[in-house]
Amino acid sequence: MTSLPPGLLMIIAAALLPFVPHVARQIVMLGAIALSAYGLVLGAGTHLVWDVLGFELVLYRADSLSFPFAVIFHIAAALNVIYSWHDKHWSQHCAALSYAGAAIAALHAGDLITLFIWWEATAVTSVFLILAAGTSTARRAAMRYLIFQVLSGVLLLAGAAIYAAKTGSVAFTSMTLGDTASWLIFIAFGIKAAFPLLNGWLQDAYPEATVTGTVALSAFTTKLAIYALARGFAGTEYLIWIGAAMTALPVFFAVIENDLRRVLAFSLNNQLGFMVVAVGIGSELALNGAVAHAFVHIIYKALLFMSMGAVLHQVGTIKASELGGLYKNMPFTMICCVIGAMSISAFPLFSGFVAKSLTMTALGDTGIMWAYFVLLFASAGVLEHSGIKIPYFAFFAHDRGFKTTEAPLNMRVAMGIAAFLCVAIGVFPAPLYNILPYAVDYHPYDASHVTGQMQLLIFAMLAFVVLIRMRLYPPEIPSVVLNSDWFYRRLAPQIGRPLLRAVMMVWGSFLCQMRGFVEAFWFVIDKLVRSPAAGPTIPGPAALVQLILLLAVLSIGYVAAIG
Amino acid sequence: MTDRPTKTTADMQKLGKHFTRFLLGIAIILAILELFLHRHGVASIEDSFMFPAIFGFLAFMFIVQVGKWLRLMIMRPEDYYEGGASDD
Repeated sequence: MTSLPPGLLMIIAAALLPFVPHVARQIVMLGAIALSAYGLVLGAGTHLVWDVLGFELVLYRADSLSFPFAVIFHIAAALNVIYSWHDKHWSQHCAALSYAGAAIAALHAGDLITLFIWWEATAVTSVFLILAAGTSTARRAAMRYLIFQVLSGVLLLAGAAIYAAKTGSVAFTSMTLGDTASWLIFIAFGIKAAFPLLNGWLQDAYPEATVTGTVALSAFTTKLAIYALARGFAGTEYLIWIGAAMTALPVFFAVIENDLRRVLAFSLNNQLGFMVVAVGIGSELALNGAVAHAFVHIIYKALLFMSMGAVLHQVGTIKASELGGLYKNMPFTMICCVIGAMSISAFPLFSGFVAKSLTMTALGDTGIMWAYFVLLFASAGVLEHSGIKIPYFAFFAHDRGFKTTEAPLNMRVAMGIAAFLCVAIGVFPAPLYNILPYAVDYHPYDASHVTGQMQLLIFAMLAFVVLIRMRLYPPEIPSVVLNSDWFYRRLAPQIGRPLLRAVMMVWGSFLCQMRGFVEAFWFVIDKLVRSPAAGPTIPGPAALVQLILLLAVLSIGYVAAIG
Repeated sequence: MTDRPTKTTADMQKLGKHFTRFLLGIAIILAILELFLHRHGVASIEDSFMFPAIFGFLAFMFIVQVGKWLRLMIMRPEDYYEGGASDD
């Protein structure tokens, strides 16, 4: 059983969930996750290969790059099971477990075809977490999400096909960006990694999912893409540019966004930028940074989404303009949220610090200073939107007089575990460093580094205090913020619809003209065949068909005779 | 409405004051440490006095200010997409 690809057991278990009663269902899910994780004991190597049509499909390949991702994906899946324990219906559990299983299986794909299959499976399974919200807005967002996810898969398949035709192999190894195949695969990864202008689906769809669905969504798809980029395109310089843009741009969108789960979606995009830059650098230290960042990011981002989900679950809204003053009603959730916020902001002794330091040091080593300062700037941005805005507007700011209580026990347990991990990894980074792809000789806690980071964060917080006290911090107002999805949600229909109408008008008049020609043609034929020579008893068209057939037979006869 | 919101608001104001003092306290400690510690960064400019502090403060102000301008450009009413049903 251990030679089965990790994750597959979770998908099989997910198929059985509708037939298992509540509570037992959660235990079955945790059991399936534990069994799947047990499969990791096989260690590095190629464990399951299938020969199909002359191609070698590597269904289970494990190595030092896939292992840390596999560990954190299992942890995230288990956290999600606990967080959604109160949900008695099977459908979301089924989607979440199979989604996590597909993502874990994708990590262990040793070839592009297997990767494609699991790549698409993550899309098809995860869309139900958005659809489950049951609103028309969510339904539309889910369809847009699915289109982008499937498009990513199609591009990956097209790239794989060209690659296979060229090299005779579908092995998923390191690639050099240059030919059509590599570009197609790169863009496929880029869609799921939410590259600039390809990121609309993320901020559009994630905040529309259910309370528990968003937590699951935040963990897998984008980090699978980071893994794929690290596997396929480590050291690709374009990624430094792309990643730097990803860290900086979402900061400005997040600062004005009113929906706090959407703020977190922008923040997710910003965090992915740090990982993409690290992959672009491609050194051992940088790749360690990318993996460590993905690892801790999954936990603190899930924690932040969980805390905002708890607020939404208890209060019924997640808009900053309607929230505030909840710190007395939901103190535990507030503390967990603050721990998540401090982790993502990379305060010393929290998990973000020990991971982000690796990337920043690796970037400093390259000497690409513009990118270094962009990432430093983005670090202040992270503090603004995730470190301050999220906890401040949800739990403090203005008292809205909510009469609510703490989130359900299972939610608090999940948040508590995630918060504990954030602190534990921050204080004891060695276990995390030990599972990184390359041997680590790095000590994040030197006096210079700690004081530098503290200065950045504390004085940025003082800037916030100054703005609030001088009433210069802009109030949150009900609104939507235009993002790259605007191009296909608004611009494309506005330009496309008149264009389509014009094309249809031209086509309609062309058809009208053609109909006139056809009628005139048949009129002439009719006149001809109704002439006395055709005889009164044979209908005109029948005579014409006979004439054509006769000509055809004659032509064939002549051709045969000449041949 | 009960008097609870008023009390919560007052409590939050008190909390805000304590928090501000706490932040200022840490800021002063960091400034003092800067005098004794030889802090070194990746770029030479990072070694200048309180560079990360100044950078963090200004970056935060910049982000909020650009956010204000961006509100005029890319902020729309809540029913922007639903109104036209253009995303169907």
